[in-house]
Amino acid sequence: MPEALEGSQAIARAVALCRPHVVSAYPITPQTHIVENISKLVADGKLECEFVSVESEFSAASVALGAAAAGSRAYTASSSQGILLMSEVLYDIAGLRIPLVLTCANRAVSAPLSIWNDHQDSMAVRDAGWIQLYCMSNQEAVDTTIQAYRIAERTELPVMVCVDGFTLTHTLEPIDIPDQAQVDGYLPPFKFARALDPMNPMSIGTLVAPEYFTEVREVHHRALLKSVDEIESAARDWAELSGRDTAGLLEVYGSPDARVGMIAIGSAVGTLLDAMDRYPELGPVKLIRLRCFRPFPFEALKAACAGLSEVVVLERAFSPGSGGIVATEVRAALSELPEMPRVHGYAMGLGGRDIPLETYGRALEVVGREPPERFAVLDLRPEQIPAEEL
Amino acid sequence: MSEISIPVSKLRKKQPRFQGIDSGHRACPGCGAALTARLVTEASGPDVMLANATGCLEVFTTPWPESAWRVPWMHSVFENAAAIAAGMESAMKAQGKNTKVIALGGDGGTFDIGFQCLSGMLERGHNVLYVCYDNEAYMNTGVQRSSSTPHAAMTTTSPPGKERMGKRHLKKDIVAIVAAHHIPYAATASVAYPSDVRKKVRRAMAVDGPTFLHIHAPCPLGWGHDGARSIEIARLAVETGMFPLIELERGGLADVMPIRNPRPVTDYLKPQQRFRHLFKDDVRAREELEHLQAIADHNIEVYGLRGERPDALDTEAADTAHRGGMRWA
Amino acid sequence: MVQVTRGGFAYPGTSLEFKTGTWRVERPFHLHRVAPCHGACPAGEDAQAYLALVEEEHFQEAWENLVSANPLPAITGRVCHHPCESACNRQYYDDPVAIHNVERYLGDRALEEDWPYPVSRPAADAPKVAVVGAGPAGLSAAYHLPRQGLAVTLFEMLPEPGGLLRTAIPAYRLPRDILNGELGRLISVGMDYRGGQRLGRDIFLDELREEYRAVFLGPGTQKSRDWSIDGATPEDLHVGLDLLKEWMAVGKIPTWESVAIVGAGNTAVDLARVLKRAGVREVHIISHKAIPAPGIPPEDTMPAIPREITQALEEGVQIHEHRGVQRLILRGERITGIEMVHMKKLPGKDGRLHRVAFEGTETLLHVDQVIPAIGQVLDPDGLEVLVDGASFLKADGWGRLPGHPDVFTGGDARGDRGTVTEAVGDGRRAALAIASYVAGEPIPEEHSSEPIPFEAMNVHYFEPAPRPREPVLPPERRMTGCAEIEQGLDKVQVVGEGHRCFSCGNCFACDNCWTLCPDTAVLKTTELARDGSHYVFDYDYCKGCGICAHECPCGFILMEPEHV
Repeated sequence: MPEALEGSQAIARAVALCRPHVVSAYPITPQTHIVENISKLVADGKLECEFVSVESEFSAASVALGAAAAGSRAYTASSSQGILLMSEVLYDIAGLRIPLVLTCANRAVSAPLSIWNDHQDSMAVRDAGWIQLYCMSNQEAVDTTIQAYRIAERTELPVMVCVDGFTLTHTLEPIDIPDQAQVDGYLPPFKFARALDPMNPMSIGTLVAPEYFTEVREVHHRALLKSVDEIESAARDWAELSGRDTAGLLEVYGSPDARVGMIAIGSAVGTLLDAMDRYPELGPVKLIRLRCFRPFPFEALKAACAGLSEVVVLERAFSPGSGGIVATEVRAALSELPEMPRVHGYAMGLGGRDIPLETYGRALEVVGREPPERFAVLDLRPEQIPAEEL
Repeated sequence: MSEISIPVSKLRKKQPRFQGIDSGHRACPGCGAALTARLVTEASGPDVMLANATGCLEVFTTPWPESAWRVPWMHSVFENAAAIAAGMESAMKAQGKNTKVIALGGDGGTFDIGFQCLSGMLERGHNVLYVCYDNEAYMNTGVQRSSSTPHAAMTTTSPPGKERMGKRHLKKDIVAIVAAHHIPYAATASVAYPSDVRKKVRRAMAVDGPTFLHIHAPCPLGWGHDGARSIEIARLAVETGMFPLIELERGGLADVMPIRNPRPVTDYLKPQQRFRHLFKDDVRAREELEHLQAIADHNIEVYGLRGERPDALDTEAADTAHRGGMRWA
Repeated sequence: MVQVTRGGFAYPGTSLEFKTGTWRVERPFHLHRVAPCHGACPAGEDAQAYLALVEEEHFQEAWENLVSANPLPAITGRVCHHPCESACNRQYYDDPVAIHNVERYLGDRALEEDWPYPVSRPAADAPKVAVVGAGPAGLSAAYHLPRQGLAVTLFEMLPEPGGLLRTAIPAYRLPRDILNGELGRLISVGMDYRGGQRLGRDIFLDELREEYRAVFLGPGTQKSRDWSIDGATPEDLHVGLDLLKEWMAVGKIPTWESVAIVGAGNTAVDLARVLKRAGVREVHIISHKAIPAPGIPPEDTMPAIPREITQALEEGVQIHEHRGVQRLILRGERITGIEMVHMKKLPGKDGRLHRVAFEGTETLLHVDQVIPAIGQVLDPDGLEVLVDGASFLKADGWGRLPGHPDVFTGGDARGDRGTVTEAVGDGRRAALAIASYVAGEPIPEEHSSEPIPFEAMNVHYFEPAPRPREPVLPPERRMTGCAEIEQGLDKVQVVGEGHRCFSCGNCFACDNCWTLCPDTAVLKTTELARDGSHYVFDYDYCKGCGICAHECPCGFILMEPEHV
């Protein structure tokens, strides 16, 4: 039975269904409502866990890490500045191969200070070694959070569930919250082979010399590459159980024999889908939603883009002094195709700028341009830039 | 020819004490931090979980694939030992287990970079024993000054020279700060009084709530003295009043180890190279010596460290040797 | 091939793979060093060893350890000048350990409980040795010889054993029942005692040398030195030692109004105190040496036992230091006084000491008797073949006489001794020498290392504690009767003294090294290690930091350069 829930609230309920032992919480807009909702569930006795209100995001990640290392399922959430503050610990968690789930409520990173939706935060830590999954809707956020625990605990890799700040976290949607029995059937109790235990004492977090460091890193890299199988099977099994398909690595919409493709991430895909329906004359277009950004789904993407002659990548962050992040990785993947499509890269919606339906059409204007657009900000307002900066 | 009838490796396994940290670690000869870890884990027993900050202790005990630890142990990053410990403790609570969580950090990882996590952990009342082994500088990275470095001490980032006489600032009063959190138990201790260390560890272990031990641990390399003298130097720090041994409960002074006959601070400073610039013929050096003596006198007064009995060298029989061992802790 | 683990986790205790012992430039080792008390005891007692047993209240074991060197503790615990205490390292911390009180306590306990001496009758066919003289030297030799497996016959000219112990030490210093008790027990084990046998009258040296494999001579010094002042002596010359013996034997001696005793040794002091008890009003001791005090060099100190001198002064004896008798004042044949002069013994041009009188310092002292107590020499009767006119029997450190391989000596007869304990030590060493001679083997070496100095100890680990003061009869209670003046310490105090002992140079298992090693490289044992300690160094891991050596309270651990 669907309920009208704010995104944060729904995510909180999803986390509670996963029965975490320890939740560490630190407020930062726009993630705050998630932890507030969880604390309410705890206060009302609806969730039995240790709720630790820490003194910074750095400690939030550390407490979650300590708890998981000690054998308890743990959770935390953050955003923007908080993600960056805890980044040292995020690298540590992944390097130590500790299973953990973290919700990143995507928000721009200071400076300039902004509280609004942007992918700069999760993109900044794409090399930390986490699995990163991007949700298109709040329903998907609920389902993905549950899947994330299964993926993390089977692969011993932490999973970052990325949810667009404000755009998703603060909007109401009708959401189907699974029941506890469903989740219990899907998610067994937390079992971590290397949990700290006085009966079997191990030392975690040692100093690894050049003779061995490379191999440890290689093992981590391979684990991430291989995790695509778990990500897909988790989605499949959940779809069977719940009737809802979140997609595994990516999802393809629109015309299967289109020669023009569009790739996007997160909630923006919802707008593009509506635009696709509204402006059929601008097609045929194949719209590809990248759900899993780490590991980068090379093979799935190549398969989805085979036969395309033009691809337009729309992303919500960029690397200053270089250009697009997603576009660069897409180009790298598609360069392996026998006939590489021409790839155009755009950033849009930075710092919470609204993405209207017209964006779809404007993006498609680049198709056929010579040379292909390496990188540009699609919704730039150049009149707001002083002459000497142009 | 062996001195006893069984091989030494077998004898090692039959020692009448718990060995939480074993031999083969890479600490410098005479290391106070290694001794601290040995004494703390000996007194805590095996049902513990350790969260260790980055620093000398962490580095010299775990060069992969080797580890000297015999208890469950984790190192995350430099500043978060207290937060990791808080997470472990939350997990133990959630799992209904009694395993005690101990956080271990050096002075750098406790007074400076780990300060915030420590404060948060204490404030939230986690059942964690935080042990700070204080060698008074960032030793692992090569002897740089921390907020725990004593006033006028030489480090690589507070060298004496034409314009300076060593560290300008005073040693941060961490115990007062910890006391302000009103935790059930906090104490200072020194490796020169191992029975006292063990007693205080056991006391802290028995408390259900946050506890803090600040243990003075000489570093022969960083302080500039012979490794054989580590215990002697630590003892002098206590006997001069430079490192008072006190116990606090809920922020109030509960007990002290009295000094019968305080010794002049120069007895403590002279054997250490890190203070040698204070013994040059220089008016500023003389002033600094007076300042340090004033600090020691102040400690003795403020904590009430003067003992009553007339013996000169001992403090409360804390380190009296007895035939057959028979230490009181 | 080492394969990586996920996240680089490590297994517990795997650091034992890495032997940090390779880092060492020097290594610790145990060295049992001679405690100063042991080094100073003329009898060779290891006081530190038995004090350890006393601390643990193993009194019988402690006594057995003690009598492995000296069989007369109840006696020596009363009459010895305790050089052990003068050497005790604890004196530099607070007070020296009251070792002689402990020895006395053990000796008395053995008498009370009749603890058996660790000696048994030798085999029937054991080689036989003759011992002449049952003074301390002879008694000691006769006790140690059966411990070496030799059969002993002990000859003594008086009916009862003891020598000077019996004839010249007053009962207020050495009670009769203690003397008889200890000697009675001693001569009943291991040896064949024959009293009333005098050398030169009842037994003869050449016969003894024929009948026995070896002969030990402990005849003492029975002859007084000749004494006169410029050729003059009192008409009724009494020699100090003879008077003392007379008092001991008979209980009475001639008395005068006032007496001057010339001499500075135990005989002079004992005689002075005896004369006081006998009723002599004024007793003077004329000594060319000084009363012992801090700052007085040993060669200028009166050789008598310091506490005897103190008690004599308490009892009203007057001692004139750095004085000599220049002239006897006679009225007719009777002494009416002496002319005293300041006098010291100073080295002369020939390097030997000469008495030097300082002109212009003469004073008159009115006395009606002068008694010399200036020492004794050997009575050569029966020993002519060995002595050839000398005053003493010259012998080496083991008591061997040059030119007479089967004859040994010890005690006062040697001339370079003067105390009971030295005589006991002579007897023990001679027994070892005799056993080696009889077996045709060289004498086994005894330790000769330097005693451990105070600076080698780490006294931080000891609690200051004063020495208990033993009850002493006040002077006014001493003069009637002959009750023992020093009353000894009780069991609690004696155990306390054992506790105060620093255990110099010998491990007492305090656990310091075991507790303080940062590398867990000192391991504790339940069995006693071959080097006498309770700990073993694990040289696989020891980094040679030296903390153990620096913090060992008793100086048992030393550092040496690492063997390359």
